[in-house]
Amino acid sequence: MTGSLFYFLTFLTLFAALGVVFSKNPVYSVLFLILTFFSLSGHYILLNAQFVAAVNIIVYAGAIMVLFLFVIMFLNLNMDTEQAQKKSVLTKVAGAISGGLLLVIMIAVLKDAEVGSYDPENFDSQIGLVENLGHLLFTKYLLPFELASVLFLVAMVGAVMLGKKETQQRHF
Amino acid sequence: MRLSDLYFLMPLLILVGAATLNMLVVAVKRNHKVIFGITIVAHLVAVFTLLQLNGSSYQIPPFFVMDGWGIFNLGLILLTSLFVTLLSYAYFEQREERKEEYYLLLILATLGACVLVISQHFMALFLGLEILSVALYSLIAYLRTRERSDEAGIKYLILAALSSAFLLFGMALVYAVTGTMSFPEIGVYLQSVSELPLLLLTGFGLMIVGIGFKLGIVPFHMWAPDVYEGAPAPVTAFIATVSKGGMMGLLIRFFSQADAYRYANLMLIFTIIAIASMLAGNLLALRQKNIKRLLAYSSIAHLGYILVAFLAGNRLGVEAVSFYLVAYFITSLGAFGVVALLSDTERDADQLEDYRGLFWRRPATAAVFTAMLLSLAGIPLTAGFVGKFYILASGVNTQQWLLVLMLVLNSVIGLYYYIKVIAAMFAQTKSVQERRKVLHPALSFASGGAMAILGLLLIWIGVYPTSLVQLIRGLLATFMTTF
Repeated sequence: MTGSLFYFLTFLTLFAALGVVFSKNPVYSVLFLILTFFSLSGHYILLNAQFVAAVNIIVYAGAIMVLFLFVIMFLNLNMDTEQAQKKSVLTKVAGAISGGLLLVIMIAVLKDAEVGSYDPENFDSQIGLVENLGHLLFTKYLLPFELASVLFLVAMVGAVMLGKKETQQRHF
Repeated sequence: MRLSDLYFLMPLLILVGAATLNMLVVAVKRNHKVIFGITIVAHLVAVFTLLQLNGSSYQIPPFFVMDGWGIFNLGLILLTSLFVTLLSYAYFEQREERKEEYYLLLILATLGACVLVISQHFMALFLGLEILSVALYSLIAYLRTRERSDEAGIKYLILAALSSAFLLFGMALVYAVTGTMSFPEIGVYLQSVSELPLLLLTGFGLMIVGIGFKLGIVPFHMWAPDVYEGAPAPVTAFIATVSKGGMMGLLIRFFSQADAYRYANLMLIFTIIAIASMLAGNLLALRQKNIKRLLAYSSIAHLGYILVAFLAGNRLGVEAVSFYLVAYFITSLGAFGVVALLSDTERDADQLEDYRGLFWRRPATAAVFTAMLLSLAGIPLTAGFVGKFYILASGVNTQQWLLVLMLVLNSVIGLYYYIKVIAAMFAQTKSVQERRKVLHPALSFASGGAMAILGLLLIWIGVYPTSLVQLIRGLLATFMTTF
């Protein structure tokens, strides 16, 4: 059952990922990308990482994809503009070469990489659950967790400071 | 978490508290003086609590370690940030923009650098680095209406984010191989393997990209001149000192704790980087007419000098780095402090023309600037000379003749452009330049006092370096290394 589900999800992921690359309309590309993220989240669930799956959907499929769509619609990129700017042969060749080189590097690296195998005896099925994560965050990793809050504070102050209009500067 | 952890983290907690307090005060009423006062007091209290910690090594497993090296760097960063704050008041007082958030961001950037130098775990490292970077994005673009500040901010944002990605990927690879993110445990793993695994080398290589960007060394130096030019002068001083010094502290801690000095190929990478930085920095500075850009190139070269001492990879090398950092911090603060002092409401005083005949208009400022430039050039009786001497000693001690030769050669090249600026300051201008309006006669007290202290420190360390050397030696006694 899990095996066939894995193959189905993999097929779906690859199909959607190819759809992102090959569809002419940028909006379709983004929609395919959302499908890719959902099927990747399915993989995470199969790997028993429910929390990562949820975060992946919320952050990527939710927030980031909405931003993508907004930008595309603001810029008014559609089929016509895509076809208007014909890509030269040189661009295609350059793209193919650099992409192919990346593939070669990936194969070369992954060929010899040792991947940690899992041990069915001591496997803890609870490890990917939110509860365990929360427990760790508030005990062992409390200090980095607090530091992350400072990081958000900096980002917020900086963004508000830069984004605020200069004219109404005196009073909040 | 234990209660004593809080005691040892007190300097950091005080900074966070000061940032929160500043925010609350801004919400009630905006007052530049009050915020400035809080920031100064917070820095002083943080330094005071730091002095309470005796130099003993204290672990907060697995993230932080408070040993002599950490305390030295914390003290250096806090004092530098204090001087930057002192220089900022007069600078921002004459500007129209909101001034208060600046101090908030400055405190938090300092906090990020502090986290960086005491971390011994990738997670703490990355969070510290990001706090520092994110605060710097907005600090660089702080005076938004200025001509080049947007450009500088965006440039720094994109490049810093990219370099963070490299660093993160490198960390992931190291973690994939070693199965741990803490420096001492990586060291333990490296002991167990005979040679560096390829994947680990790739990881370290990617991490060097992230570290090299923050240090501004060749070939990751492209951002430095533009960002130095576009950022407000006190922020430039902060980038040149705290941001680079924090990363240097981290680099030395990582290499010492993980004992990565024994890998020849890693050392080769750093040797090439050091030589390239020295040459590129000095050669590109020769034709500069813009003081801020000139100082940017000079700082690239100076980081190259520091790498020579770093490459020595022994206790003398770490001492030399510490000494040189102190000397370099004082000089950079002084030099950018002069730029900040001379800046007017419209723009920063960054053209060489602004300094022509400065001695006849403002003798004291010109004297301080001359002293700073001589120290950067490494002329005796200044801190820069003793620092350079120390670095040469550590290089000779480990027989790195090529690096030593390049260091000497580059010091000679560097002399040219420092002297050029000094010559411009003493030039007798025939046409009476209209006196640039000095906007802050009374306000400049803080800046003037800070500049005077920096000048005196520079000479004092240059004439009598023993006290600083002993302080550094005493602190480094508890630096946990594998030397």
